[in-house]
Amino acid sequence: MEFLINWLANVPGFAVPFALGAMGLIICEKSGVLNLGAEGYLLVGAMIGAGSMLTLPGHPYLALTLAALASALLSVLFAVLVVHLRVNQVISGLAIVFLAQGLTSLVAGKMGWTNRAFSGLGDIDLGPISDIPVIGLIFFRQDPIVYLTIALFIVASYVIYRTHAGLRLRAVGENPEATDAAGIPVLTYRFAAILIGGLFLGLAGGYLTVVVSKIWVDNMAGGRGWIIIALVIFARWRPWRALGGAILFGCIEALIPRVAAIGIQVPQYFVLMLPYAVTLAVMIWTSLSKEALSNDPSALGRPFVREERR
Amino acid sequence: MTDGVPARQLWRLHLEIRDHMPLWQQMLVVGSGVAAGLFISVCVLMTSGVGLSALWNEFVVFIFTNPRNLSAVMTQSAPLIIVGLAAAMAFKVRFWNIGIEGQMIFGAIGATFVATFDIGPESLRLPLMAIFAMLGGMAWIALPAILKLRLQVNEIISTLLLNYIAFNFLLHLLYGPWQDPVSSFPHSEQFAVFERLTSLNWGKLDFSLVVALGLVAVSFWLLISSRFGFLLNFIHSNPLMARAMGVRVAVLTLIAALSSGAFAGFSGFVVSAGIESRMTQSFFIGFGFSGILIAFLARNNPLTIVAVSLFVATLMIAGQSLQVFYQIPFATVQLIQAIVVICVAASEFFMRHRIRLAS
Repeated sequence: MEFLINWLANVPGFAVPFALGAMGLIICEKSGVLNLGAEGYLLVGAMIGAGSMLTLPGHPYLALTLAALASALLSVLFAVLVVHLRVNQVISGLAIVFLAQGLTSLVAGKMGWTNRAFSGLGDIDLGPISDIPVIGLIFFRQDPIVYLTIALFIVASYVIYRTHAGLRLRAVGENPEATDAAGIPVLTYRFAAILIGGLFLGLAGGYLTVVVSKIWVDNMAGGRGWIIIALVIFARWRPWRALGGAILFGCIEALIPRVAAIGIQVPQYFVLMLPYAVTLAVMIWTSLSKEALSNDPSALGRPFVREERR
Repeated sequence: MTDGVPARQLWRLHLEIRDHMPLWQQMLVVGSGVAAGLFISVCVLMTSGVGLSALWNEFVVFIFTNPRNLSAVMTQSAPLIIVGLAAAMAFKVRFWNIGIEGQMIFGAIGATFVATFDIGPESLRLPLMAIFAMLGGMAWIALPAILKLRLQVNEIISTLLLNYIAFNFLLHLLYGPWQDPVSSFPHSEQFAVFERLTSLNWGKLDFSLVVALGLVAVSFWLLISSRFGFLLNFIHSNPLMARAMGVRVAVLTLIAALSSGAFAGFSGFVVSAGIESRMTQSFFIGFGFSGILIAFLARNNPLTIVAVSLFVATLMIAGQSLQVFYQIPFATVQLIQAIVVICVAASEFFMRHRIRLAS
């Protein structure tokens, strides 16, 4: 029982990066832009978050803001490439990941940020409510970003499904030609969606260092960006399903350091494979299910070229 | 670009789609893309504390006046050529094989399996290792290939996830059953002399470059002049049309993907049995992205792949000495490659569009 409570109390912290990242990707991909650069944005956010905490200790919110902004800056490069220069979205996304891997390693190395621990953002304490057995520990003793994530999910899904801007965003991703004919600026919407996606992913990356690990190590996103991409496909671009998926992966990540404690004797490297193997299994399961090809933005991955409009 | 531009705007850009551009102009555009990429890279390196003269020394003088370093570049280029071919093979059928590193790991595992358990007579050991390496690479790409063809599972993500699984499996072997019993370091036992690629007596250069060039010849024939290559080109330009014309798209895609895995596995064998002479924890690092970059820059053409591989190999060797003398992390090599790719990809805009200033 104690194991279970301990495990569940740790889940939100692991789920937040997946949830925020997935939300960012959903916004971006709803506009029809396939964004494979997730891993890169996470890395930039994480590195800037750590760097900010090391240079200006004691300002975790500033660090998270800077992390989101830095990643948004990188997403501007991606946006110019795929929106204005009409470069292949797969090549651009991959290039962004490799650019970010090299860049973060170089900058963190030169600034001396690598492998230096700092004190990050702690959990909130609501006094008596946080002390309620079981429930208090799981729901009311988390860090503030966990609650912010839930708020952001409510706002973002309201905007996507209940506002004019959201309707237009989805129209751009479904049929850019028709949307263009209706006088909606396709390229502006796509640019903005990529930028907002970058902000969310950067915040997710900043969370990884500022709240979770409290240290920067090269390549520390460790494939989470790719898991997020798979998560969005699994969620069929629906925000609340993505949140569910994020919690699932949070459970798995929170379980990894505890496997030995339950008394299961599995070689450690097989345990470390778990998130990737589960992601693959989830992807297979998603494509086996009946609704496999429904709900994805029809124009996903296709550049909009007005001169070629048919 | 748009109708009804505000009157205060004095000039505007006209974009037109270009159907065709003469080859020399295309080369000029790509060349300027590469030049722009290198210029930005030089700026990045200079801001991180490497002076212009140092760069000139490391990249030009150091490499091309010292036969030992030139041979190191040649040695490094062999596995790069092979991963470039691996990527090109898959990209020909629009199969995004991002899992080259995972397939290299399983190639090396196949080769090391043969070496560790002394399978076959000594004279046949190397060919057996090569065959097992190719089988390992093929096995590791088979799952994503079948998943894509049968269930439309996105191969970019599945091949990438399998990289992480392969890497953890490699660590399991190297920290467990296959740990070097001699030194207890987490790498495999050193291969015996007959399990290593023969040295060509010029610096570190070994037989791998000969093999790589042989593979280039085979791929050139396969991709450029055979019927198989023609069909792959057909699938590349229009898969639906190819299917409608009776081309067996699924079978050909599977064959191309499996050969891509075989090439990647083979390069895992080449690095292990050549440069490293054992299976290490990090022998594959950077090859996956370099393969994709090489195939992209070379437009999937085996001959251009050789040229681009030499360029990337120079970058890698110079990067190693920058790491030693200027504390520049090796990942910077990856950064430079990414910058070049982005610039070249962006330059293609000018290949497909004509821009006019209209008053």
